[in-house]
Amino acid sequence: MPLDTSAYSLALLRVDGRRWNELRRIHAQIRTQAAADGSSYLEIGHTKVMCVVTGPSEPGSRRGAIGSTGGGVGGGAVGGGAAQSKGAEVAVSIVIAGFSSVDRKRTARGDKRILELQSTISNALAASLHTHLFPHSAINISLHVLSQDGSLLAALINAATLACVDAGIPMTDYVAACTAGSTSTYAANDEAADPLLDLNHQEEQELPGLTVATLGGSDRVAVLVCESRVQVSRLEGMLAVGVDGCKQVREILDRVVREKGRRMVQEGTVEKGVGLNDMDVD
Amino acid sequence: MTVIPEATLSVLPRADGSARYAHAGYTVTASVNGPIEAQRRDEHAFEAHVDVVVRPAAGTGGTRERHLESIIESSLTQLILVKNFPRQLIQIVLQIETTPDNDYVNTKLVQASLNFPIVPSLLQAAVLALISAAVPMRATATASVVAVVSQEGTKRLVVDPSPRDLEQAQSVHVLAFTSHDELLLAESEGDFTVKEWDGVYEAALKICCRPTSTKAGIDVMLDDSEDAAGSDMRQFLRSTVEAKVAADLYWK
Amino acid sequence: MPREAEPSLNEKQFIVQALGEKLRLDGREFDQYRPLELTFGDQYGVANVTLGKTRVLAKVSAEVTVPYVDRPLDGVFTIATELGPMASPAFEVGRPTETEVLLARLLEKTVRRSGALDTESLCLVAGQKCWSVRVDVHVLAHDGNLIDASCFAVVAALRHFRKPDTSIASGQLTVYTPAEREPVPLSWLHSPFCVTWSFFGDDGETALLDATWAEEQVRVSSCTVSLNRHGEICQIAKLGGVPVEAVALLQCTAVALTKAKEFSTFLDGKLAEDAKRRNKGGFMAELSSENDR
Repeated sequence: MPLDTSAYSLALLRVDGRRWNELRRIHAQIRTQAAADGSSYLEIGHTKVMCVVTGPSEPGSRRGAIGSTGGGVGGGAVGGGAAQSKGAEVAVSIVIAGFSSVDRKRTARGDKRILELQSTISNALAASLHTHLFPHSAINISLHVLSQDGSLLAALINAATLACVDAGIPMTDYVAACTAGSTSTYAANDEAADPLLDLNHQEEQELPGLTVATLGGSDRVAVLVCESRVQVSRLEGMLAVGVDGCKQVREILDRVVREKGRRMVQEGTVEKGVGLNDMDVD
Repeated sequence: MTVIPEATLSVLPRADGSARYAHAGYTVTASVNGPIEAQRRDEHAFEAHVDVVVRPAAGTGGTRERHLESIIESSLTQLILVKNFPRQLIQIVLQIETTPDNDYVNTKLVQASLNFPIVPSLLQAAVLALISAAVPMRATATASVVAVVSQEGTKRLVVDPSPRDLEQAQSVHVLAFTSHDELLLAESEGDFTVKEWDGVYEAALKICCRPTSTKAGIDVMLDDSEDAAGSDMRQFLRSTVEAKVAADLYWK
Repeated sequence: MPREAEPSLNEKQFIVQALGEKLRLDGREFDQYRPLELTFGDQYGVANVTLGKTRVLAKVSAEVTVPYVDRPLDGVFTIATELGPMASPAFEVGRPTETEVLLARLLEKTVRRSGALDTESLCLVAGQKCWSVRVDVHVLAHDGNLIDASCFAVVAALRHFRKPDTSIASGQLTVYTPAEREPVPLSWLHSPFCVTWSFFGDDGETALLDATWAEEQVRVSSCTVSLNRHGEICQIAKLGGVPVEAVALLQCTAVALTKAKEFSTFLDGKLAEDAKRRNKGGFMAELSSENDR
């Protein structure tokens, strides 16, 4: 179904009625699975993902598996399991449910797209988590995709970050992600093209877009993935909007964590720590 | 198409040993790593496991490549002193780069038929790479392929047949000899008589096992002019390695 | 599985410290590539690329097959990448490593998804017959920056390739052998090239182009940008690693564009050179005049 981009220039409203700089509703929960070390559930619009973290724990027998990275080493390394790494190994597995998208497609086991997603999330988190505190151990992150409506990678990164916070793994800051796009097609070099924030599935199919993940509130980009053809001149605008969106997402994630912490203190599940004095508990 | 074989030793910087060999339109690059740690399933308590991987230029390898691998592997196991390296692995990768084109037929990617003419190139590249990796061997080997082509009622032998010759060939034979003139490998396909095979054997022996003249220079030249049909494989192997050693040790 | 020997702590420290003093091990500038060489074989569609000690061979082949049911008007186009034990004994046959998966995905996104090859032109009879074009990437030696070298080899091989000429007369498809009719080139739309940046330092403040294998072992993150000479980005992949300032990434993209343009000119030159070599003595001109009669 072609997206009617001419309608956008009339009212400056997108197919779902948003303006160019508006995120979809982000709803998130942490500590959803009682048995897990850390868990989270996250919705961005209709994209719904769930994440469970186990670890840091003793590594299994698996060595040199795909999507596992020794602490802080960004790619390039061949093999090398947790056994000789100085930091914890971050292993990510993604399961995309058959019912998650409109056309029910079975994903092959060795699907390269999913392997790429796994290794991206693993590498992004390994750089932010303090893996050097847990040598010879493994952090297993399992992500389940329940529903897909664009910005999948961003949702997965956000959910994994929340679950790692819940698991109490020390980290530098939140890794917050979101997508950005542009109303121009790759052929047209029109200067009037607007950047868009947070693409849904339909926009992702029709328009050029990219996924950005930044570290906390800074402008530092941990993940940048663009899979569509776009003019170089469009990149700056898209990146700026994306980085700005990441800051908004970080605030939302932070609010979720603080809210859960406040509730837990109120319910008496945890003692109010000394570090929590500045938090508004009442 | 190269009629005279060409070879370069140690072409790959990171492998233990490597060689590139081009002859009669075939180009093969070989790399040798070893002796290295063998996997549990390949480990042999008394000798080294020789692992040969043949990779086609286009497409994934199939049964044809597996068969070529088994031919090369059994030949090389006889040459390498495998008993010297128990529980080890000697890994040989043979990458086919080019094969001669037949302009009169459109090629299919997956071919079930055997490809004997490539065996000498594979074996020669492997032997050169093994020498380059300094893997101890009891002998070197030279190989050749001979086709029996019948034309207007008369049968003639064609050494290093072109794809056109192969189409018309009645039988194709590949033979390899060690440097002690022992027959190492003999594979044939097509119909032929014992007498024909004897003729093929003589022809291959002449190419692969010409007595090496120890005095370099003038004697070799005479030898070459005497018999123009077919190259002297053993001399070629020797001169390639000699040239490499001379180039490496020119400072001495 | 034998493991690749990692650089020692001293080696790692040495590389990083030298980079801090604006020095690279091989004395290159930070944005300088190693000497890039490209040779074509006697056959069409074989490209041999060397980038320093990295060597990649790409071979294109085509055959007639049945198109996919859900895409009856498109031909089949695949890029096969397999890292064998030739590149390093740590690569096993038939068991893809992370490096291999990411390389395959990057080539797929850069060349296939960006629409560099017009797959509709590969269709012969809608829903029944089409060309299947396959590129095999063979990594002969791995000394860093496999991505850029492989991408260049794939694009060069595809542009050099000629597929057999065909004709359809009264529903009958004829595929001509090279002896009957001169093969024809593929319908090529644009040439994308990968440029990979490697980042070093605690905050990824040092950016290098064309890292060697040793440098790749030490880098904290990397970013691959694919562009064509028209200034279109085909793909960007910064897959995790230490975060890098957004402004620095934009600068990297700008430099990558000039590099992609250089690659493009270099490849055009090589292709023209090869065409001239094949056309010795005006052989092609002679052929065409014969056909006119």
